[in-house]
Amino acid sequence: MAIDTALSSSLEQAELETFPPAHRGRPGDLGESGENREQDDRRPPLQNARRERLQYAARRVLRRPGLVVAILLLLFVIVSAAFPALFTHFDPYATAPADKLKAPSLSHLFGTDEIGRDLFTRVLYGSTLTIQATLAAVAIAVVVGLALGVVTGFLGGWVDLVLMRLVDVMLAIPRLLLALVIVTALGFGTVPISIAVAVGIIPGFARITRAEVLKVKNLPYIEAARTGGASWARVLLRHILPNSWGPVFVLAVLDFGVAILAISALSFLGFGAAPPAAEWGTLISNGRNFLITSPWLSLLPGLFVGLVVFSLNHISKSLEELQR
Amino acid sequence: MTNHRHFRHRAAALAGAAAALALVVTGCAGAASGTPGASTDSATPVSGGTLKVAFWDDQQGCIDPNQVYWIESRSIDRQIADSLTDQDPDSGKIVPWLATAWSINADSTQYTFTLRDGVTFSDGEKFDATAVKTALDGTFALGPKSILGLTYLAGYGSTTVVDPTHVQVDFTKPNAAFLQATSTTTLAIEAPATYQQTPEARCAGAVVGSGAFTLDNYTAAKSAHLTKRADYAWPSGLVTNQGAAYLDAIDVTYIKEDSVRNGELTAGTIDVAWPRQPISDADQQVITAAGDVIESRALPGISSILVPNVTKGGPLADADVRNALQKSIDRTTYASTIFWADYPVVTSVVDSTTPFATDESKLLAYDPDGAKKLLDTAGWAVGADGYRYKAGQELTLHYPLTVSGAGEQLLQDQLKQVGINLSLDVVTAAQNTQKLAAGDYDLTGTYLTRADPSVLGSSLDQSSSKQASAVNSQDAATGASISELFATGLETPDDTARGTAYAALQSKLISTGSAFPIFERVQIAGVSNTVHGFAFTSEAFLRANDIWLEQ
Repeated sequence: MAIDTALSSSLEQAELETFPPAHRGRPGDLGESGENREQDDRRPPLQNARRERLQYAARRVLRRPGLVVAILLLLFVIVSAAFPALFTHFDPYATAPADKLKAPSLSHLFGTDEIGRDLFTRVLYGSTLTIQATLAAVAIAVVVGLALGVVTGFLGGWVDLVLMRLVDVMLAIPRLLLALVIVTALGFGTVPISIAVAVGIIPGFARITRAEVLKVKNLPYIEAARTGGASWARVLLRHILPNSWGPVFVLAVLDFGVAILAISALSFLGFGAAPPAAEWGTLISNGRNFLITSPWLSLLPGLFVGLVVFSLNHISKSLEELQR
Repeated sequence: MTNHRHFRHRAAALAGAAAALALVVTGCAGAASGTPGASTDSATPVSGGTLKVAFWDDQQGCIDPNQVYWIESRSIDRQIADSLTDQDPDSGKIVPWLATAWSINADSTQYTFTLRDGVTFSDGEKFDATAVKTALDGTFALGPKSILGLTYLAGYGSTTVVDPTHVQVDFTKPNAAFLQATSTTTLAIEAPATYQQTPEARCAGAVVGSGAFTLDNYTAAKSAHLTKRADYAWPSGLVTNQGAAYLDAIDVTYIKEDSVRNGELTAGTIDVAWPRQPISDADQQVITAAGDVIESRALPGISSILVPNVTKGGPLADADVRNALQKSIDRTTYASTIFWADYPVVTSVVDSTTPFATDESKLLAYDPDGAKKLLDTAGWAVGADGYRYKAGQELTLHYPLTVSGAGEQLLQDQLKQVGINLSLDVVTAAQNTQKLAAGDYDLTGTYLTRADPSVLGSSLDQSSSKQASAVNSQDAATGASISELFATGLETPDDTARGTAYAALQSKLISTGSAFPIFERVQIAGVSNTVHGFAFTSEAFLRANDIWLEQ
């Protein structure tokens, strides 16, 4: 509702505005816009500026049809993961022996599996589990990675030395191997595999954050803020953190794809949710004995996972380019 | 490619026609062996070549026939070690092999064997009464290291060498199943020198037998290589080729993925694809379409059953719930869905090819309404989610397993229809063993191959087996009455008396809900069309004596 009005008014504005307000910059940009925005004394223009930025971003996005498709696909996956019943009337767990191994058709978009369950429905319900696990994994990784990176980058010294060597050790162990070890120790299921995958991607986040913090920490405005009497905590939270999470955000989107693949790999190997629930990887794995005779059982869920990961990659790449 | 295949088809058709003709002419003389590959081959066998066999896995990692229970290893062992007797795959009758004759006393406590002369082990040692004594004593000494040997030799007292060709085996209590046991790989006679090795060394490949092949090397779960003995001349009468094997060697590999293994067969990289679970309907079509052959034999022994835990005070402690569970399994649909349309439906706790197997299908009928009624009277009321509850407790049955396939999920859905929540708890093998030992489960699955109904004792007889499936599946009173039937079955060598005892045992196990048969086990092998003379033993292991390769 609120979004609706904002959107329509921004559309009106779009016709008036023709040139991108390049001079305004975006949050996170250093220098004039970042620091001076609050001094801008036109009150309604603050609203305007936000609107303009939105339009500008919208226009840049619309100029990339690939990105639009990727975003739409991702939206579909997220919505269907949240409300799978909206898109299918089948029960993902009800078996129908008479309908086993049916090829894809209008009534069964992805065909049926070896005990007659609708595969499309299983993929959608699998999205719920996979997306939950991915979100959890990336959230854990971002929070822990960001914290580690900020602490080590900001404090430096022996804290940096010790923590970063630990991170180096973690980087040296192949992610999937590490995840396998953790999942075997924790037990099987959605929560253990998201923790296992998260541990594997934490080092990347920690390193990137640390590098950004080191870069930002020595800039003049930090010194200015300190001289202005700001406490270290305030400098950290208000100046360093917001100015260093841009690349982390890009990495987070990229690692969404990585996490989906890792979670699918683990569930492919049988570490996933308790049956009959099935993550995407479980579905691909279940169909592998029918590759020659009923190839859709593995290929369609596989294609689905592939498309989602491609979309995430594309979005991440575009975000990086747009930020430049 | 197409031409080649056409040619193969035509050649096969010609061979088939020739075989049919030969059968008519000879009056079906060869058909008695019951092995399609062997009986329809009329071409003259040629020697030479290496048979490449691919099994699915080798989780026990042991090749010693006396110790191993792993089906695939026993198939290898059949080629390298001979037994005192052999068992006819069709009739279940015991026939002479290394023993030419035997006598049994009335209460099945004393067996006397007359031994074949002129048999040698592959290390040159002579096979005689002393070798038999060494072997039986050595196998008995393994104790629980040999899960199968423990029951095969139940009540073993001693072996006495009467003279070089006569040996007498005494038992402290009746063991009517012993004669059949002497036909198994488990009681195969290995060379005396073998028994001086540690059990571990024997497991790892220090095995010498008197078989048609010798074991060159064995790497657990990786490979095994067998070469033929040129001087072999003592197979049982069930084998057509009474001399040395046609094959020069047998190469064994392990390929875990069914699709990969079947693909290698159709591509011609291997000659025999030997899976654990039956090759799927679809894959069978692929194999036959490539001109290769499907061989099958129902595995004798315990069918694939679920065994309850009645001791932990869970829902299955209630006989009504167990009976309801028995009624809510739709075995016909299971067989046709998980396997294929005319796959045999399980009819008892033992597979139909087991001697003394009875047809208990009346007790195993699918009756969801009856199940619901039983659960209602037992106080389990249907809740809002379709599952049943009693005093706020959901009717959940925990079934820990290491891999969950389509079969378990079909079963899960079948039980859901009557309101039982079958929880498939996927755990690691180590956790599974731990859960079984601790009794932390409601249901567990088991099966075991042996062509004698006494095999049920290994899994279900509380008086002899220490396995969780035996200890936890019956309360003390039921357990005592079941153990009594097991004892009766072993008391006498008389077939009628044994048959009566085992019939009573099978219906008792089912009606008390001590075992829930799920499906009949069938050994299927994909065999290349260049392989002739393929044969199964009575226990559905490979018998390579008659196999020859088209050159």
